[in-house]
Amino acid sequence: MFLLGGRQLLQDRKFEIGRRIIRHCVEFAAAMLILSIVVFYFSRLAPGDPLQSFYGEAVERMSAEQLTAARQRLGLDAPIWVQYVRWIQGISRGDFGLSLRYRMPAMDVIAPLIGNTLILGGTGYILVFLFSILLAMVCARFEDTWLDRIICKVGTITYYIPSFWLGIMLIMIFSVNLHWLPSSGAYDTGMSGDIGNRISHMILPLVVMIFSHLWYYTYLIRNKLLDEVRKDYVLLARSKGLGGSRILWKHCLRNVAPTIVNLMAISIPHVLSGTYVAEAVFDYAGIGSLGVESAKYHDYNLLMLVVMITGILVILSSMAAQMINEMIDPRMRLSEVNGWKHSYRRKA
Amino acid sequence: MEAQLQKEGIAQDAFTIVGMEYKIHTPKLEKPGKWSRLREKPVISMVILILIIGGCFCAELIMNHDPSGFYLEHINEAPGSEFYFGTDLMGRDIFSLIWNGGRASIMIGLLSAAIITVIGIVYGCISGVAGAGIDSAMMRFTEIAGSIPSILLVLLITGFFPGNNVLSLSFVIGITGWFNLARIVRSEVRQIRTQEYVLAAQGMGAPFWWIMLWHLIPNFVSAVMFAIISGISTSMTTEATLSFLGLGLPVEVVSWGSMLSLANRALLLNTWWVIVFPGAFLVVTLLCITNIGHQFRKEVNRRPGNL
Repeated sequence: MFLLGGRQLLQDRKFEIGRRIIRHCVEFAAAMLILSIVVFYFSRLAPGDPLQSFYGEAVERMSAEQLTAARQRLGLDAPIWVQYVRWIQGISRGDFGLSLRYRMPAMDVIAPLIGNTLILGGTGYILVFLFSILLAMVCARFEDTWLDRIICKVGTITYYIPSFWLGIMLIMIFSVNLHWLPSSGAYDTGMSGDIGNRISHMILPLVVMIFSHLWYYTYLIRNKLLDEVRKDYVLLARSKGLGGSRILWKHCLRNVAPTIVNLMAISIPHVLSGTYVAEAVFDYAGIGSLGVESAKYHDYNLLMLVVMITGILVILSSMAAQMINEMIDPRMRLSEVNGWKHSYRRKA
Repeated sequence: MEAQLQKEGIAQDAFTIVGMEYKIHTPKLEKPGKWSRLREKPVISMVILILIIGGCFCAELIMNHDPSGFYLEHINEAPGSEFYFGTDLMGRDIFSLIWNGGRASIMIGLLSAAIITVIGIVYGCISGVAGAGIDSAMMRFTEIAGSIPSILLVLLITGFFPGNNVLSLSFVIGITGWFNLARIVRSEVRQIRTQEYVLAAQGMGAPFWWIMLWHLIPNFVSAVMFAIISGISTSMTTEATLSFLGLGLPVEVVSWGSMLSLANRALLLNTWWVIVFPGAFLVVTLLCITNIGHQFRKEVNRRPGNL
């Protein structure tokens, strides 16, 4: 009887997870649809002549008929909603529109750069959280000592230094004056396969990203750990003779882990935003610097694609984080099943 | 008393009365002096901030050159006795530019923070008071909008304005920065909306804006004060970043950010003073504002840890 109930619960749970995945997908589609409509309208309503970026100087020499013909050819004369429907139709055929500035399919411009951004953003993301967890542990272990206070003060200061300014300062010190590291680009020309070359180009952007995000997350994790340290099981472990560091590593960190994963999920847009700024400062060939450039030159299709890809990245990764969270925290799973069971009973 | 003692034949000094001299002990009330009250406040930050803001708004008295003048015979001059902070590659005096440009930076910070505050508080209050369906829809919207990296949102909207000026840029920064504040306000309002005084006001037929203004805002304003003040510094950073990227204020409109938009060319010429001074002013101002904002943070009273 008891066993049967357990199996029933397990089945319920599988059903529940399936339902949740479907719900997530529907939400995802709705979010992308709204996002695309808003972005499309905004970019089309913006002033600045896209023809200017397509033809450059030649626009001034064109006659009125030529201009209308050019508009018609690029599909710029139709009402905005017609343009939107055309754009959606294009996407279903795998056609993401023409980049007006580069005069080639927008996807072809972006595709080679996505990898660069993912490498930089991913490495930065991992390093930020690695360091912030370590720093938070140090702070929690030595709470209210001079070490903790110094870390807090320095951390606050680094957080409020604008990241682009830090980037310029680093370029000035390490590339212009000391000649240690390259100042821009993702790799030197013709060395895209050389890992050492890539890493040397990534060091400065990574330092900027870490500095501008580290303290924010360290502070949140530190506060969470300080709450955890005040719980009774820590006192019990202490009275059994366990050392402070061991309790912190083996017990507290494990209990805080779901919060950290949640934090990592929420932080993705924030870190990505930082990646884009770092890319723009260091002229790193990635989606971020491309987005800034396309905003400057009114290259709608490219900007749209940058925003959409970013949106997809953000939503997918936050969904992944949610799933990981459920996997590592058994409490969440149990409460979920119980919650569902209750609602089921109430209905029956 | 004495007559009675005599009647009973007891000598007057047979007893000693204890506690005749008893006085209620009233400890002297010590009002905290001016200095000890000041000690809890971030005095240094306030003084520096007042100096910077005062200097910016009385720039005419401080600067020793015309900020819009091009001193063509002194291009890229290092800091010296005539040009205190040196000159940039157009021959403009950086010392005068900083005091002059601080106005735009600070104005943008204040204006955007005001826009963020108004939108965030009103949106948060509506969402907090509304029913479950509307509330969750409104919060979903802020979540989706907040999941787009802020820099991209700003890029999208800056394209909207042909030539950027202080007003349009503050508008752009303000309209993309209120999601977080709205969420905080909403959760605060959720907690106080069922309090008796709110219900009483509702029962007396007070309109929504009245309840918001007189009952809700005074009760959560201290909780969101830090978010509001840090809105100023975030907006100033965003302005500087945008201007640096060439998407904010044009070079002609002087602000700390637009001065830094010359940084790339300054790097080629290795003229460090063009980069360091405006940035340092920006950083010091941001730190002072943050330090003052921290004053409004609720102190968490913690018992000693078990470790």
